[in-house]
Amino acid sequence: MEFMIDNWAFVAKGLGMTVRLALVILLFTTLVSAVFGVLATLPSRGLRLVIHAYVELFRSIPLIVNVFFIFFGAPMLGIDLTPFAAVTTGLTLWGSANGIEIVRGGLESVARHQWASAWALGLRPWQVYLHVIGPQSMRAILPAYTGLLTMLVQATSLGALVGVSEFLKVGQVIIERSAVMTGASPAFSVYGTVLLVYFVLCSSLSWLSRYLERRLGRPAMRAKGV
Amino acid sequence: MDFDLHYLLAQWPALLGGVLMTLRVSLLGIVLSLVIGILGGAVRVAAIPVLSQVVALYVELIRNTPILVQLFFIFYGLPAIGLELSLFWSGVLCLSLWAGAYQVENVRGGLGTVSHGMREAAVALSLRPLQYYSLVALPIAFRTSLPAMLNTAISLLKNSSYLQAIGLAELTFVAVDRIATDFRAIEMFSAICVLYLVLVALLSLATGRLSAHLQRPFRQ
Repeated sequence: MEFMIDNWAFVAKGLGMTVRLALVILLFTTLVSAVFGVLATLPSRGLRLVIHAYVELFRSIPLIVNVFFIFFGAPMLGIDLTPFAAVTTGLTLWGSANGIEIVRGGLESVARHQWASAWALGLRPWQVYLHVIGPQSMRAILPAYTGLLTMLVQATSLGALVGVSEFLKVGQVIIERSAVMTGASPAFSVYGTVLLVYFVLCSSLSWLSRYLERRLGRPAMRAKGV
Repeated sequence: MDFDLHYLLAQWPALLGGVLMTLRVSLLGIVLSLVIGILGGAVRVAAIPVLSQVVALYVELIRNTPILVQLFFIFYGLPAIGLELSLFWSGVLCLSLWAGAYQVENVRGGLGTVSHGMREAAVALSLRPLQYYSLVALPIAFRTSLPAMLNTAISLLKNSSYLQAIGLAELTFVAVDRIATDFRAIEMFSAICVLYLVLVALLSLATGRLSAHLQRPFRQ
């Protein structure tokens, strides 16, 4: 523990990088998921098939293989990626596969008659999505999406394997440094602390997800004041 | 950059070795995680004081921390306080503990669907609590939660790739190791993607057979 406190500025930088990774990935994932999640609910069969194939592929291959594929494979194709860009790309591809499913499922969870009424009122397709289906789908989407964010934060630890100086990497460096300086490895206490910090971060997100589920889950009950 | 199929064929023995190692840690991990799940799930449902809270804390701890950090804690952290495990068993322990937490929740969910009448019937037949769990509740719960258990098992198989980070010679390690000498990243990663897809498909297929077997009493 004292190693982490002695190196607090270094540790803070690592945590900052973890948060930055998570936020950048969250941004791109949200963009991709929103667009393709909506497209997946359109009647076009070909489109649905392509999106489904993408989702299944990226959910089936191990995340680490996905990130390594981009990190080691891109230079072979002549694309030069920084470790940060490689991790961001890999996790966005994977996060979007999960995000698309959440958005599609959320949109499809809105009652059929809501779609029918919106069309009967003569709303344009984008108006149907923006004013009628979208807001109602948030009830299903937000809790699941917060859960996805928890997984994304955890997955950023993969950055340590390709050389992004995020929280886990900072822990590794501290261990190596003090092992060289003092001869004893503080691995137990440092990794223990790293575990604890991730736990606090992610369980607050999990708590938020459960809170949203309770809060948004039962609108009929809430109206009755239950 | 051309795709060299002959290279992949030449690397076949190394890849096969990786597949076998992946299968070994994964199957051991699946079995041990199910043991954890069944014991932990029963403790949670029976609401045994203290023990139940400990299991709940374990589940939360595993689900809210990255598996990579758990792995490093087990492999590098535990030896620092005198708990030395071999590379292979560190990997198995990490995967079992990780998937065990999810299996606890799966078993708990399954046990929750067992109707109250079963419990009353078991009491009427003067079965002891342990007999009720092993002979009545668990077999019923197992059928309900089999799909969720399969999902966890598949995740475990995929997550066995994290063991690359501590140097266990499983499939991903073999691929990265070969790439370091031959620079054939596209070929290698395409190959292991396909191999992982095949392994996942085989696992699904096996569970499908098991599920069909368990559904026999209910078939018309």
